[in-house]
Amino acid sequence: MEDYKFLFKVVLIGNAGVGKTCLVRRFTQGLFPPGQGATIGVDFMIKTVEIDGEKIKLQIWDTAGQERFRSITQSYYRSAHALILVYDISSQPTFDCLPDWLREIEQYASCKVLRVLVGNKTDREDRELPTHVGEEFAHRHNMYFIETSAKEADNVEKLFIEIAKELTQLVRSGHFDKDSKVGDLSPQDVSNVTLPPTREPRSEFACCSRWISSSTT
Amino acid sequence: MSCCGCCSAFRPRYKRLVDNIFPANPEDGLVKSNMDKLMWYAMTSPDKLDRIGDYLAHRLYRDINRRKTGYVIISMDALDQLLVSCHANNLNLFVESFLQMVQKLLESTEPKLQLRATQSFEKFANIREDTPSYHRRYDFLVSKFSSMCYASEDEEVMRKQLRTAGIKGLQGVVRKTDWDNLGENIWLPTHMEKIVPSLLYNMQGNKAYVHGTTQISDTQDNHQNEGEKEPHELAEMCLRELVSRATYGKIHNVIKPLLIHLDYEGLWVNNSFAVQVFKIVMYSIQAQYSITVIELLMAHLNEKSSEPAQIRTGIADVLSKVIPIAAGECIGPSVIEIINSLLEHIRSSVVGGVSGKESSAEKMYQETLIHALGEYANHLPDYQKIDSMVFILNKVPGSDRVDDGGSQRPEAEVKLQHLLLKSLLKVGTKYTTVQYSTTFAQSFLVRLMRLSVSSDAEVRLTVQQILHTLIDRHQNIEKLAKPTLEVSRLGLTMSKPVRQDVNFWKKSGNEIMLSLQENCEFSNNRLVNIEAIYATLMLLMAEIRSDDVMVDILRVLFHVQGVAQNGTVSGPQGVQLQALVASVMVVISHLVPTLKDHVAAVIKKRSDEAPHLLPEIMASYESGLPCRDLPEDLLFDHSKVLDLLANTNLDEKRLNTSMASMMRRHSTTQHTSSATDINSISVEVDSACSSPGLPRRTLEEEITFESLKKVLTESPEQRRKAEEERRKQITEAFMTESFEALVAKIQAKFSVQ
Ligand SMILES: Nc1nc2c(ncn2[C@@H]2O[C@H](COP(=O)(O)OP(=O)(O)OP(=O)(O)O)[C@@H](O)[C@H]2O)c(=O)[nH]1
Ligand SMILES: [Mg+2]
Repeated sequence: MEDYKFLFKVVLIGNAGVGKTCLVRRFTQGLFPPGQGATIGVDFMIKTVEIDGEKIKLQIWDTAGQERFRSITQSYYRSAHALILVYDISSQPTFDCLPDWLREIEQYASCKVLRVLVGNKTDREDRELPTHVGEEFAHRHNMYFIETSAKEADNVEKLFIEIAKELTQLVRSGHFDKDSKVGDLSPQDVSNVTLPPTREPRSEFACCSRWISSSTT
Repeated sequence: MSCCGCCSAFRPRYKRLVDNIFPANPEDGLVKSNMDKLMWYAMTSPDKLDRIGDYLAHRLYRDINRRKTGYVIISMDALDQLLVSCHANNLNLFVESFLQMVQKLLESTEPKLQLRATQSFEKFANIREDTPSYHRRYDFLVSKFSSMCYASEDEEVMRKQLRTAGIKGLQGVVRKTDWDNLGENIWLPTHMEKIVPSLLYNMQGNKAYVHGTTQISDTQDNHQNEGEKEPHELAEMCLRELVSRATYGKIHNVIKPLLIHLDYEGLWVNNSFAVQVFKIVMYSIQAQYSITVIELLMAHLNEKSSEPAQIRTGIADVLSKVIPIAAGECIGPSVIEIINSLLEHIRSSVVGGVSGKESSAEKMYQETLIHALGEYANHLPDYQKIDSMVFILNKVPGSDRVDDGGSQRPEAEVKLQHLLLKSLLKVGTKYTTVQYSTTFAQSFLVRLMRLSVSSDAEVRLTVQQILHTLIDRHQNIEKLAKPTLEVSRLGLTMSKPVRQDVNFWKKSGNEIMLSLQENCEFSNNRLVNIEAIYATLMLLMAEIRSDDVMVDILRVLFHVQGVAQNGTVSGPQGVQLQALVASVMVVISHLVPTLKDHVAAVIKKRSDEAPHLLPEIMASYESGLPCRDLPEDLLFDHSKVLDLLANTNLDEKRLNTSMASMMRRHSTTQHTSSATDINSISVEVDSACSSPGLPRRTLEEEITFESLKKVLTESPEQRRKAEEERRKQITEAFMTESFEALVAKIQAKFSVQ
């Protein structure tokens, strides 16, 4: 039987070309795909990690950044436990779009969702956005923050592990309701964490905590 | 499978049976004879079914992790067979194991396993379980199948297979969950927002929809084997099924994601796909809900009020194309609601657009809305068309007050008035008048006549056009575009004289004539206005076959001639009025032959000395051409006409009464038609058999003492019959006979006497 303690749904969003797919593939397959094409619709990957000796299954939904796919990608926000909002540290426009993305999150995601801001491509020489700018933005909007490089495998593992840890902790503290009615297909006797289907006033759980903001050192 | 050998003797029987179905070499496939044993066991001991499922799942997980794909497939084969052949109550628990295995396979990155999982799921979806499962959730399946619908594998065959599998998987979920409606609610937005765009995505690229080559109809072609179907065909089938299953509260959840998808994909501007999709929806949806779709489209238009006009036009165009499909289902208040909503859109477009220079795109949008309104009205039953016209007219600014404020009105109001009248005209063209009293309810006519004397020439023109389409029952209007002297070339079809028309004229004739007379007096009339007035006068003459109409028109003509003659209206308008009078006079003289000589004399004189006073009417004239204070012999002579009419059936005294007094007379005198009232009977008989130009004597001969006595002594029923018979005989000749034939007949009769 499949043995895992929790199942979490993690959804990646952000402008086209910021490296969402590369991050996922680096994490799930341990590689940096050469010539990664734009994602069409939504891609799906699964990865089981261990936190404190317990298996945590991560369902990762990698959405297309292109505007035209917004109708399908938005529908995946709803049931997410964690949302990873990615921008490209070498591209100011991808950063400038962040407020739009936040608006989308507000509109479609559960208020209890864990939100993580990721500045990707730290390996690039032509950085346009200093770390502190991303950091401040995350701080202002109650998000976790981390900078990564899918190419150099910097902080990628950490990103997902921290999310798994955080979510596990949130579940244990009762942040997510263990409501079997809104559950998923999952093995019996395995806790399946679910989210309330409707929005409630924002809770303050994620207030400005940060993990790490250092670039490659 | 290391230690299994030694301890197999102590293993439970079901585990041994399961183990035995796996061959040593996975290539060999399921060990069939052992599979039969397992099936037999499962069917005879159904309580063990869930353990078998559990154990198979256990093996499958292990095989997947070890990447033993061959064994994985064998497990799935075994599961399928067990699922299909076991109809036990215990199936429910077994199903849980089964679905977990399906999920496990779908989680794999191996396309082959994903396809295999979908196959099994499809089989499962077609099984109707005895007991609904309250706790079963399909969230993952919907998410994953939707994601597969977007498969973008480089390899075309695999891409197509995955997409097909995704669509079939979604179809399976929909069927399964809709059947046992106590389980997962598939209609929740969270599911529909995934399912609907995934289906559309697979349809939209196909040229069948883009160029509209496939005929969308209300039947779907099921003959073709599903296996051979293209993804877009499968997706369409699935969409149809989805929509056809949707009941009232659920439609919103289906249509909303559809609209949003079209938004994001930018499919409104070149909207052929959007049109096709909505046709599919309208033909698939349970008829009583089709109106909801229209309402949702309207609401979407509301939401897009700040989007570029092209997008709004695209949506409005879709509306205009699908609205007829729903119109048949409209009843009562929803009709007015839809019309109101369309008018509201027109209004907000006008109000929003006036400030800046209105773009041609915005105009196009307004036209599209009016078109949609027309399309809608076209499919309404006639009585609802009338309701609609009344409703629209009541919305027209200015229809509720006498003074329209002249040029001081705000620009938006003027614009709105024009557009709403155009809308009214549009609906009017879709309506077929049978009875004028039905078409022109008193309050409707009053408002319309009020607008007909607006100081705005364009408004006056549109009102005349509305009158044309509502009065014209014999397609005469095209023949009346230009005033002419060549009456015989017109080829008008005349109505037959009927009591209802005559009664209508008694009731409302003055209202109409008064407005026409006033219409002639505006100094801002353009040629088109004059031409429209001409057409209205002619239509009245052709449609309402009553002596009173003839005399009333004569009266208006003399009034108009006076207006031009004394210079109240001057310039080109003065000339135009003189020519208008001539062109209508000529027609009257054909119908009332006693006037013929006089009219001919005036026309002759004019053509010799002042041809500009005759048609063809021009937009402008050389300045200085006389149109006022004309010599007597260039004018139609009122007293002469009065004399000439004395010898006819026509009531010449009517010619002298002023409009105002006529009005008064008509508002006070009510003809009550009781069976014993000789007066009223004779009036009715009179109106039934009288036809213009028939000398009065003929009638007098017909109403003899005998006939009157008969009328009085016969039972009402007999009398009614006899009367009807008579009327039939008399009017037979006039039944939709051509104008010329009629004129010829009248002249023949006239010359005989
Ligand atoms: N230098 C560098 N390039 C990266 C990194 N991550 C991604 N890229 C490149 O960025 C481009 C886009 O990466 P994707 O992962 O496809 O981007 P995406 O966010 O998934 O884009 P969409 O699927 O269109 O939304 C590719 O050419 C990658 O090679 C990184 O960490 N460093
Ligand atoms: Mg991608």
